[in-house]
Amino acid sequence: MQTLALLAVDKEKLRPFFSRVPELFEQHHHDSGQKPEMYEELLYKVHRPYTNDMLDMIDDWMGLERRNISGEQEIMLRLFLLAIRYPDTLLFDSLDDILVNDVRRLSAYLHFSSHTYTIWDNDTRKGLAKLGFEIPDTDKADPFIYGAYVGTIELIKDLAPFTCFLEHDVPRQRLFQAALAAYGRE
Amino acid sequence: MSTTEIVEKYHPNFEGWIQEFQEWQTRIGFDPAWLGDYRFEIRFDWDSAGDEIEFGDFSGMPKWKRRMQIPQQNIIDAILTMVSVQGDTEFASVEQQNHLLATAPTEYDRKSALRIMCEEQRHGWQMAYLLCTYFGEQGMREAAKLLERNAQDGTRLLGSFNAPIDHWLDFFCFTHFIDRDGKFQLKMLSTSSFQPLAASMGPMLKEESFHLGTGANGLRRIVKAGVIPLDFLQKYINKWVSTGLDLFGTDESTSAEWAYVYGVKGRYDERESEMDADREHLNEASRGLYFDELKAEMVRISKGRKEGEPELFIPSDKFNRGIGMYAGKRYTVKGDPFEGSDGEWEEYLAGILPSDADEKLLMNEYMAPGVEWIQYREWRE
Repeated sequence: MQTLALLAVDKEKLRPFFSRVPELFEQHHHDSGQKPEMYEELLYKVHRPYTNDMLDMIDDWMGLERRNISGEQEIMLRLFLLAIRYPDTLLFDSLDDILVNDVRRLSAYLHFSSHTYTIWDNDTRKGLAKLGFEIPDTDKADPFIYGAYVGTIELIKDLAPFTCFLEHDVPRQRLFQAALAAYGRE
Repeated sequence: MSTTEIVEKYHPNFEGWIQEFQEWQTRIGFDPAWLGDYRFEIRFDWDSAGDEIEFGDFSGMPKWKRRMQIPQQNIIDAILTMVSVQGDTEFASVEQQNHLLATAPTEYDRKSALRIMCEEQRHGWQMAYLLCTYFGEQGMREAAKLLERNAQDGTRLLGSFNAPIDHWLDFFCFTHFIDRDGKFQLKMLSTSSFQPLAASMGPMLKEESFHLGTGANGLRRIVKAGVIPLDFLQKYINKWVSTGLDLFGTDESTSAEWAYVYGVKGRYDERESEMDADREHLNEASRGLYFDELKAEMVRISKGRKEGEPELFIPSDKFNRGIGMYAGKRYTVKGDPFEGSDGEWEEYLAGILPSDADEKLLMNEYMAPGVEWIQYREWRE
């Protein structure tokens, strides 16, 4: 499927974005509002077995209110994070509605537990639209919409020339998601 | 390649080489289960490779896509050597480092190191593919040798890749200093006149950026934690910088000059530079750019130090060199000639390079279990 997508992409349209990825990443990721130090801390401090404290730290970084879910749903959520394997998103269907009603929150949990998943962000979605990839807006964690979002960022990562990949130790998905967010805001 | 190396048996194709590769993984103690979902793939970026030879005496002619298009046997030999050396370093680093996975300071560090090892193996896999696919029987023999030489036996082609990596401080130094040399070598090959080699470099360079980031960030986190004194850390920097500088090869290198003439290996800034290459000093030029980059990076790493700690620095490029015009000569870390006796020189070196006693102190005290010697090591409730 990705081979087909690679052939269908208008690579010329991507070139201006690719030439600016390092600068755009710096702009977004190192903005004080993004709390880059805390992001880095989360990379090291969220690990298996996941605890509620770890998820609380992610909520704090995202600026979200704490989860209002039952003990059983907490367990369901943590089991989900242990079980899911990239690029699967269909496992979303196994979660209670309350857990999938906020795609930002769920995608952040996924990002810090399995770095190949990207954080859902509206500016990033707009950045993708500017490059010709229309991803519908949503608040809910729809497996197909979020799957398309993650898959598209992965595709862009594959197509990018090596000059985009500045020396960093953040996951490459974060590199492109952050650059796309800055691009989308312009 | 050395004529003394004997390949007992080799498979007649890449599929056969893959079987040997799997046996090599087991032999060096790398459990294939650690790979998880990771799959070794052959990756090319033909767009960035270009179609026309970019420099040297064949400049302007179409890049060579197959061995039969390469006009001279000595050019084939030069390419074979470069691909073999590159592949050799990739497998060597996995042999040097895989034992560290069991003692990673954090889960993320373990994952990062594992990813680096997977990608280094993929790079070696890619080089083996080039050898097997484009260079016939000779290439297949060289591909087999990639798995026969071993860092633990000291038989890898370059000195740094036979040195033991005993702990995580060495790992971060290795990824920061030696992988950075790797980035330079890959970029110099990314403009190669042999198109499959040039096209291999783009994907490898993408992956290498993470390796460098891991090294630089690891050192930064050690500095920020403030447990390992910086004058002690400086000794490890002194040790690794000279090793990294030596990897660029001899001064006034004729093989580098010939590689440039053939268009096989360019300058680090080949596409960016507006000046003609000084063909007699190619290694020196690349080494100079590497040295400048090290200095700039060390300023960033040193910024996180605690009050009262000395600033970390990159020692002079004359210090402790094994290759080039300063090889075997006595210079201080500041680049001044050392004037003392043999005994005083040994004493000086003992004070500025890690000794056995320093290694013990590092392992038993600074990096002892329970010590938060690197930032974000422990989970705090």
